[in-house]
Amino acid sequence: MDFNPCMKHKLVRKAVRMFAEAELGPIAHDIDRDARFPWEVVEKMQPLQFFGLQVPKAFGGAQMDSISYAITVEEVSRVSAAIGLLLTVHNSVGAYPIVRFGTEEQKRRFLPAMAEGERIGAFCLTEANAGSDAGGVETVAIRDGKDYVINGTKIFVTNGGVCGTALIFAVTDPQNPQRSSGVFIVEKDTPGFTVGEIEDLCGMRANPVSSLFLEDCRVSEANLLGKPGDGIRIGLVTLDTGRLGVAAQALGLAQAAFEDAVRYSKERQQFKKPISSFQTIQNYLADMATEIDAARLLLYRACALKDAGRPFSAEAAMAKLHCSATASRVTNLAVQIHGGYGYSKEYDVERYFRDAKVTEIYEGTSEVQRMVIARAVLAQRT
Amino acid sequence: MLNMVVCIKQVPMVSELPWDPKTGTLQRDLAEGMMNPGCRSALDAAIRIREAEGGQITALTMGPPMAEEVLREAIALGADRGILLSDRRMAGADTAVTSTILAEAIQKTCPGFDLVLCGFATSDSETAQVGPQLAEALDIPGVAYVDEIEVNGRAVRMQRLSDNFLETLEMDLPGLITVTTGVHAPRYVPLGGLEAAFSEARIVTLDAAALGLDPERIGARGSATRILNVYSPTAEKKNIVLTGTPTKIVAQLFERFDDRIGGAISRDLKSDKKKS
Repeated sequence: MDFNPCMKHKLVRKAVRMFAEAELGPIAHDIDRDARFPWEVVEKMQPLQFFGLQVPKAFGGAQMDSISYAITVEEVSRVSAAIGLLLTVHNSVGAYPIVRFGTEEQKRRFLPAMAEGERIGAFCLTEANAGSDAGGVETVAIRDGKDYVINGTKIFVTNGGVCGTALIFAVTDPQNPQRSSGVFIVEKDTPGFTVGEIEDLCGMRANPVSSLFLEDCRVSEANLLGKPGDGIRIGLVTLDTGRLGVAAQALGLAQAAFEDAVRYSKERQQFKKPISSFQTIQNYLADMATEIDAARLLLYRACALKDAGRPFSAEAAMAKLHCSATASRVTNLAVQIHGGYGYSKEYDVERYFRDAKVTEIYEGTSEVQRMVIARAVLAQRT
Repeated sequence: MLNMVVCIKQVPMVSELPWDPKTGTLQRDLAEGMMNPGCRSALDAAIRIREAEGGQITALTMGPPMAEEVLREAIALGADRGILLSDRRMAGADTAVTSTILAEAIQKTCPGFDLVLCGFATSDSETAQVGPQLAEALDIPGVAYVDEIEVNGRAVRMQRLSDNFLETLEMDLPGLITVTTGVHAPRYVPLGGLEAAFSEARIVTLDAAALGLDPERIGARGSATRILNVYSPTAEKKNIVLTGTPTKIVAQLFERFDDRIGGAISRDLKSDKKKS
């Protein structure tokens, strides 16, 4: 067992950090304040293959291993979690399902433009009456000759406002939704596909989260991923990978808040001493450091299992559960250590605090992660 | 088609590195390494030249085994191959010995080279000596502190800022150039290139014996200079309030800070005073 990062993973961290600090650092605060999607930075990320992190080289991707992928998302999120969110959703639940379940023809058709970042990916499962319950999807895709005609509304779609390629969960037989769910690759220029208003959310404000409307949206059967009825299985496998990404994002947020808290506690003087000299603050910092370390180890272990081709579903859920809880606790403590300033929009910890909460909600709530973990525990033990 | 060599040094990442407040020195054992910014610019210049003229880029470094990292990074950025000169006996080399070893390695591994590019200085020792010394050791012309490079056949035209004047120089190849930072924004590492730099590229490692170096003349033993002390420069802040009439304040300002706020203006003021 070797807990030291290898040379490649160290270099991935340095390379991504250099980019994120230089290009996202100066605007991270403003894009959050203005809820602005920074196309100018996205254009710089495209040639560096940030949009094809785990897409095979043959389709224009960087073909990274999962730990490198997690480090990339972590380092971008350490500077701007909203852009980390763009990456994790695009890469792990936008492009990855096509890498994993697509036919050669689908890979050739869709992956190069996604890997270049020319078409940003979105994953559309959640609806007014479906989310944690993937079986509750009401969007329908009715067969018509060699096409499917899709009707329905998707909500809280991350990257919704900027997506070029959306994976739409729909049922092909409304009488039998559980057995007829499918994932359809729908491109934004398809007639009948419209983007709703951008949501006004608590955090991750630079990411244009929106609703998507599908009105008699006609796609070829060649756009169906897998077979009719594969939807739930594809969704579950995809979410396992997605959880690694969200865990990495939460970890990056926690790391950022922790670094700011340490720095501030050494600068801020009270009773003529830096507040880092007080035991209460030291206890906070010790807890933050311990939780972040545990979160990181859980995450990289899950990534390593995935790369080794071993089951990692429960481990990904543990990583996601713990990383997101850590992000919430650590950002909360970072605000506390900053005192009144931490509550001010002038300081970044206020943004981290707002951004962190949703990592416990999306890509499976913490309650759903516990369900997944408990299922594995009960299945493995007598 | 140019055969180019870029010399690269791994330096401690100072931003991540704690100082020992008692001794004022860097805690190097805690250091993460990074590619020296000047070397990054030199590599960038080589890639620009290759884009215009074609050619091959060899990244060369001397250092401990962990210095392999900067070669992998150089390959990810666009270098064609990497050569690591690593041997415990080379440790502690001063700039003269370093240049001699680099020259030996270049002659052995890159016969018929056209252009050697180095950073203008390294961020950890700032001597700016290795580039010029290497040109001497290779017995080729060298130009330091270059901002822009343009290759035309066997001639290179260069521009550099020297004492507030822009100099344009020309040199025949083979030659050596040290490159400044700040003219071109640093190139970022493409992530796919980084993956390939580990999965596909091979680094050649050479020790003193492979280079045929005399152990007595390398490393700290072979070096004529010794570093006696390294310390952090201390900067002090002081508030000075100038009093009196505006004319007097301005006069005092020039008396005290003449050299810093521009001698020419001050001289003009003084000559105006004499006239009146």
